[in-house]
Amino acid sequence: MIGGHRHAKSNHTVAEGTMRSIVLTKGVPDFSEGAVSFDEDGHLERGKTPTVMNPNDEFALQAALQTKVRHGGHVTGMSMGPPGYAEVLQGAMETVYADDSYLLSDRELAASDTWATAITLSAGLEKYQEEIANVDLVFAGFKTADGETGQTGPQTCWAMDWPIVTHVIALDIDPDERTLRAKRLVEGDIDEVETVEAPLPCFVVTDPEFEPTYRKASHRLTHKELRAETQQRAANHDDYLTMWDHTDLNLDPDYIGLDGSPTIVSSVDPIPKAPSEREATMIDPAEDEMAPVLEELQPHAAEAGD
Amino acid sequence: MGDDCEGLAEECIAYGADVAVYHDDERLERFLHKPYTEIAAHMARGKGTVESTDWRDYDEPRYILFPATNNGRDLSAKVQAELDSGLASDCSDLFIEAEEVSNPVKTGEPGVKKTFEKVLHMKRPDFSGFEYSTILCLDNPGREFHPQGCSVIPGSFEPIERNPDRDGLVVEHDMDLEDDWFRVEITDHDRLEAGIDLTGHDVIVCLGRGIADDPTEGMELGLELVDAFDDAALGITRGIVTSSYQFEGHVESYSNEERQIGETGQVVAPDVYIAAGVSGAVQHKVGMDESDTIVAINTDPDARIRDFSDYFIEGDLFEVLPRLTEAVESGGLGLEPEAVADGGDE
Repeated sequence: MIGGHRHAKSNHTVAEGTMRSIVLTKGVPDFSEGAVSFDEDGHLERGKTPTVMNPNDEFALQAALQTKVRHGGHVTGMSMGPPGYAEVLQGAMETVYADDSYLLSDRELAASDTWATAITLSAGLEKYQEEIANVDLVFAGFKTADGETGQTGPQTCWAMDWPIVTHVIALDIDPDERTLRAKRLVEGDIDEVETVEAPLPCFVVTDPEFEPTYRKASHRLTHKELRAETQQRAANHDDYLTMWDHTDLNLDPDYIGLDGSPTIVSSVDPIPKAPSEREATMIDPAEDEMAPVLEELQPHAAEAGD
Repeated sequence: MGDDCEGLAEECIAYGADVAVYHDDERLERFLHKPYTEIAAHMARGKGTVESTDWRDYDEPRYILFPATNNGRDLSAKVQAELDSGLASDCSDLFIEAEEVSNPVKTGEPGVKKTFEKVLHMKRPDFSGFEYSTILCLDNPGREFHPQGCSVIPGSFEPIERNPDRDGLVVEHDMDLEDDWFRVEITDHDRLEAGIDLTGHDVIVCLGRGIADDPTEGMELGLELVDAFDDAALGITRGIVTSSYQFEGHVESYSNEERQIGETGQVVAPDVYIAAGVSGAVQHKVGMDESDTIVAINTDPDARIRDFSDYFIEGDLFEVLPRLTEAVESGGLGLEPEAVADGGDE
């Protein structure tokens, strides 16, 4: 019989010109309506709120998938968090794409701030480069839905001392020249789009405005095939998952987790519920109570023939 | 940092700075991560101003603030990493006071309390607008974390009134910039078309996460109501911008940040504001609570938005929006006089 499934640790020989990407993802509380749980004091109950992949990480995964569709290669999902975050990596594999998953997980990593997280992730990237394969691109999403910091990507990149391009909304790679060309969004008093060129390996932080493009029919076909494959893999995610703890990563406990974090959260306060400023008239649409609302709206109605 | 930025340094004095340090280089005309980080960190270490060190009687800054813009946030993360310190991003309030801390990592011993003097308290909205966190950046017993840093949401503080006669010291910073720092090259830049302006309309229809059951249909229903008015526009909450809803192509363009209303979006004050499926986070409130009349449509009678609404229609927006559209269209044509026509008459 043809032997079992591929193993996450297998080190494929990379054909020339193909791109190896790592996508950094993070688990966050599910903020969709109805999923968030609060205690009596109005504090978020993280334990009761389901964890999902940071919605903005989807754009980083899309950029990695686009790179694989166009140039071939390999996409690895990487995350730091408790063992349960394997589900976040599984979700990334299922909803967008990953060839395999790496979870950096250790009790010592608990309560890491962005700086300690960045140190840990960069150690994961370095170990990956030493033991698995050289990496051409690291992708990260912009901001997470819980911390909203937007700092982890740039700080991880600082530790690698790679070039970085942030707020990327479109991406082209030239594998022969070993360069990338990206459009990045610069928001400020005026909004601008910059075109930038950078050498590989490079760190890419995608903007939520990022859109993958598949102009060739062959690319669209490859995209479809890769999507089908990754969904199959995700169904047996454990077979593609590698876990590394702080000894695997050779990290000094003083530089990770709470000990390695310059910042602490001194207090978390529910955003106070302001006293009612307006006395809302309650209207039951099932009853015939809409008249006062319509009275407010009808003076602004479009003229006949508009 | 920039190309020909001495004038900006002088502006900083006029706006309240005592000392303004600047670095001019034609290669710095636009923001680049590596050289900007290297220069800012060099300045923070008190280097590069050999000839005029008498303006400071301390060596390194205790606090460092950045603007929470796209580039400012990136710079804050990189500079604080370079300086081996921490930061909080997107702060909306700051104050400095002593803080008694019992966290053993910071005090060095469990059960011992230690007072840190002059701590920058960095307050930031967290958890997608449900909570405020106060972040502190504190030294460990064996490792200093200075400067305490953060990025600040633009507009969070009132600027000091400009005084062009104010005295201050402008210092030029000196440092060799390595060619390798310019490995990322900006080859082109275009100004974007001015985005969508939601201000100045008579009516705003704003959609929130209540459209989750069918985001595309929700968007269509909102747009149909907009079209029924003479001068209306569609807005959305931050919850929609950050959602991963799959909108169909014809309405997708309405789901991005340029239509966001709230603290990090646009501030509007129309005659009538219709909030459909909007829960009413405090960040949303600041973007709309100057509206004349606020009509909320929500299935949850305890939704926060009730406290700042004039009318609260307790119902499903998928049913209520089409009814409003129909009523406005027919009312506008004058086909349905209804009882309300008498309401405003004496």
